[in-house]
Amino acid sequence: MNSKHDSIGEKIFDGFNYLFLGLLALVTVLPFIYIIAGSFATEVELIEREFFIFPRDPSIAAYQYIFSTDTVSRSIVNSVIITIAGTLVNLAFTFTMAYSLSRKDLMGRNIMMNLVIFSMLFSGGMIPGYLVVKELGLLDTYAAVILPGAISAFNMIIIKNFFQELPPGLEESARIDGCTDLGVLWRIVLPLSKPILATFGLFYAVGHWNNFFSSLLFLNDHEKWPLQVILREIVMLSQMAAGDMSNLDPNFVEPPDQSVKMAVIVVGTLPILLVYPFLQKHFAKGVLLGSIKG
Amino acid sequence: MNTALRSESDASIRKAIPRRRRWLSKLKKDKWLYILLMPGLLYFLVFKYLPMWGVLIAFQNYQPFLGFWNSEWVGFEHFQNFFANPDFFRLLRNTLILAVYDLVFFFPAPIILALLLNEVRLAFFKRVVQTMVYVPHFVSMVIVASMTYVFLTTSGGVIHELVSAITGKSINFLADTSWFRPLIILQMMWKDSGWGTIIFLAALASVDMEQYEAAVVDGANRFQRLIYITIPAISSTIIILLILRLGSFLDNGFEQIFLMTNSLNRSVADVFDTYVYFVGITQGAFSYSTAIGLFKSVVGILLIYGSNRLAKRFGREGIF
Amino acid sequence: MKRDQSRLRKSLALLVMSSVLLLSACSGGNGNTEGSKESAPPQSAQPSDSGQTPEEEPYKISIMMQSFDTNLPGADSPVIKQLEEYTNTDLDIQFVPNSSYPDKVNITLASGQLPTIMVVDKSPSFISAARAGAFWEVGPYLKDYPNLSMANDIVLNNSSIDGKNYGVYRGRVLGRMGLTLNQVWMDNLGLQPPKTIDEFYNILKAFKEKDPDQDGKDDTYGIVVTKYAGPWDIMQVWFGAPNGWGDDGSGNLVPTHMTPEYREALKFFRKLYEEGLVNEDFAVMDSAVWNDPFVNGEAGAFVDVADNARRLNASMQEKEPRDESYTSVYQAPVGPKGHRDMPTTGYAGMLAISKSAVKTEEELKKVLAFIDKLGDVEMQLLLGYGVEGTHYDMVDGYIVPKENLEPAVLQQYNGLNQMLPFIGPVAPTLEQTPINNMIAEVQAANEKIVVANPAQPLVSEVYAQKGQQLDNIIADARIQYIVGQIDDAGLDAAIKLWRETGGDDYIEEINKLYKESQQ
Repeated sequence: MNSKHDSIGEKIFDGFNYLFLGLLALVTVLPFIYIIAGSFATEVELIEREFFIFPRDPSIAAYQYIFSTDTVSRSIVNSVIITIAGTLVNLAFTFTMAYSLSRKDLMGRNIMMNLVIFSMLFSGGMIPGYLVVKELGLLDTYAAVILPGAISAFNMIIIKNFFQELPPGLEESARIDGCTDLGVLWRIVLPLSKPILATFGLFYAVGHWNNFFSSLLFLNDHEKWPLQVILREIVMLSQMAAGDMSNLDPNFVEPPDQSVKMAVIVVGTLPILLVYPFLQKHFAKGVLLGSIKG
Repeated sequence: MNTALRSESDASIRKAIPRRRRWLSKLKKDKWLYILLMPGLLYFLVFKYLPMWGVLIAFQNYQPFLGFWNSEWVGFEHFQNFFANPDFFRLLRNTLILAVYDLVFFFPAPIILALLLNEVRLAFFKRVVQTMVYVPHFVSMVIVASMTYVFLTTSGGVIHELVSAITGKSINFLADTSWFRPLIILQMMWKDSGWGTIIFLAALASVDMEQYEAAVVDGANRFQRLIYITIPAISSTIIILLILRLGSFLDNGFEQIFLMTNSLNRSVADVFDTYVYFVGITQGAFSYSTAIGLFKSVVGILLIYGSNRLAKRFGREGIF
Repeated sequence: MKRDQSRLRKSLALLVMSSVLLLSACSGGNGNTEGSKESAPPQSAQPSDSGQTPEEEPYKISIMMQSFDTNLPGADSPVIKQLEEYTNTDLDIQFVPNSSYPDKVNITLASGQLPTIMVVDKSPSFISAARAGAFWEVGPYLKDYPNLSMANDIVLNNSSIDGKNYGVYRGRVLGRMGLTLNQVWMDNLGLQPPKTIDEFYNILKAFKEKDPDQDGKDDTYGIVVTKYAGPWDIMQVWFGAPNGWGDDGSGNLVPTHMTPEYREALKFFRKLYEEGLVNEDFAVMDSAVWNDPFVNGEAGAFVDVADNARRLNASMQEKEPRDESYTSVYQAPVGPKGHRDMPTTGYAGMLAISKSAVKTEEELKKVLAFIDKLGDVEMQLLLGYGVEGTHYDMVDGYIVPKENLEPAVLQQYNGLNQMLPFIGPVAPTLEQTPINNMIAEVQAANEKIVVANPAQPLVSEVYAQKGQQLDNIIADARIQYIVGQIDDAGLDAAIKLWRETGGDDYIEEINKLYKESQQ
């Protein structure tokens, strides 16, 4: 990767590549910037202007409003608990299973792989799933939100394949040193799998953070709801056409302000967005194999 | 006859002893692996297979309050209704075309983006771009649909104005049937290309730097390094994702299509997922929608096993 | 069987527990067992032995209902305390966000453990559960209660299933629709409120062509409509098309789209579109921004619930305060078949009482007494506006909400109005502004002109199976006709397709059910 070797063609490619990626980044992030700008704007401005980056007279009223009760802050705490606990459960369940199934000589492996793949495609659906959780006595606990999704078959299969591609020599030598399979997983495989841990930790964490449906199904107590339930509800309510409101009592219900909706989106998205840059150092190139082999 | 049976079983027992011993010794050797497997296996049995009876309601007229045991059994009636539905072929056609568009245009997008990012050497620029393209994944579909309207509407949408200024004609992106599928794919690309790169970037992170250095010494240019080192390094990830994607081939993403459908484009927008919503969820016909889901799953599982076998025939890993 | 199930349950719980333990042994303990350790809270209030309970003991009632707000009162809310005191009950209120309410109803029905009172729609799964005896038939009891006996017969009929009432309806204004106009434009052009459809047309035309905002630019149009087709539904009733189903003169019901009046209405809509009196992009317009063109002064007419006139006015006042109202609202114009308008069904869901939580008739009467008391003026005020002195003041018999209340204080009664049946005496209302008065007048006058849908109480099997599909065929054809994509022949083809897809069966079934219900 030495730039001195670049030909003119490669330099032109580089130029275009930077330009393209820069523009792409701008296009993808602009709508979100509008949401941020909108969260600081007034209702009048949001009705009048279709798209803007700088609000005319910025105000933090929307944020004051959403933090004036403990609903949003409490739900953020709930979300953080569910996300952290859930991700740890996910990683533990997924990595142990993936590691076992990555060993091709394991007896019964094929049956279990078929079991996993079958369950990806055929599922009992919402009601039977709910009844299982209820029979286990998990309703209204965070375990009901976390355990039914403890393993994503999709992620497990990909992780298993990553494990299969690790050089077999490493494990052999560890086993000669007297490690059990558990020791190999803990001391050799996991340290080698940091990018994988980071990637799937991120996938799972984002999944938990964005999930509202299991919370709605399993948590009856509204004080246990995570942020996404609140966010989703605000977005859906402000989306409700006036006509659909003929079901509502005219005197009481008003859809939430647009700026409040946008502020909730910002509050609901920023924390999880910030996780990524912190994980990025684990995606740095060649951090692992080279160092261990060398 | 009795004795014959007994002697036969005796023989099989005698034969089975060493086999069982082998079995036991294997079990003992891999005991930690089995212990590690237990939580996952239990998870699948309890949370995936215990509720699996739900699949059978496709053959009932399931009603939640009556429950599984008291609901009426109707055999293949829902399947017959589904296949005999005058809309079936239109739904199938729309679903398949959109699925193929998805596979051909959307599936490669994150791969290409990851490869382009991989060529960026300014670490800071790379990080910033990565983070920015990942943002739209967190914008909910409802918002994406609203914004699409704002940008494309014939009454003053920014993109619509721009396009008509350039081409000189007014294109009704949101109502024109020929624009529906490109629009869906573009929305998907905008929303999830950046998100999709993460897994490929992780795969690229495990490429051995020494290989690149050796290639540079050998005089390989960047394009050659891309073809001979980078792409092979992520090819198994690509294949696995492709096989897994085929499993949900007939899923088009309900919410997006539902939000983008209107009275003028419904002829191309109606797909199985939205149809299930209209007949199934809004009308409470659990069984009918389960039957359609079952049909999609059978197609999915055939595609998964078929493509997995194909991958193995070409000497690749496959998913298992 | 039962024992097997509980044994299974126990062993399952053990398995899960042990797997969690196993896991922590393997990975050095990551400490997520908090969830499984917690014991499950009581699912629903099981009424205590009512026979022995003395009268003074508060009666336990669990309620499940939608929420349209995210700031919800906690169990310690003083408003809930007052409600419990007034009704001598011990309440367990479960709020479910509106967007996922149908799912929650279905899983609750499937679980077999229903709350005492559940707000339900006439969904197929509720109908099936009601027929299977999951809920009390309350119809015969209503006459025994001072408030509930005042229930409206039309609405009772609308909310019935097979002629029986399996719940106390939550009343809504029947004649709720209205035509909202931009009053500033009306004044600028010297226009009078429209009495007939022709006058209505002339107003739209003037809004488009006579520069109603007097800025010298051709930047206005008549009426704003979105992807949500409600306005078309309402306006076609003005033309004499039946609301959903109508009598064809021989005692048979026909669907509205097979009547000549429907066709007349569509011709009118088409003319509006051709002449640019309706927004060009209505077929694809996001209904979340429906109000915007009116507020921004691009469109001058709005056909929807009359009370939207208040919302539109409020948004415009925020932009630029004005002493008088920006909007005015009127009844539907008179059409060729007389003065007609679309009603609502008059109710939004029912309060259904489950038999699994309420075992005896005696208990049922207690629950009904509770619902009856919710109709009292005191309760309507408490659940609708909060506590007098804290949340609102009474001025000259009107309610004046306190200004600048902390959201945390508002939260004490937010969402509780969802349990109100609005059956009983009329409670004081909000302070009467001119626009509020106009809305009230229109809605009161509407009662006399609304056209009921005779098929409203009928439960059709065909519709349950194919209803949405059938509706889409007609809805799409209507829009395509309006924008000129299809002509009369195309519309006829769509109706033919509708009939072949199941429409004919639907007509036959509705007529059969209708005749049965008439007997």
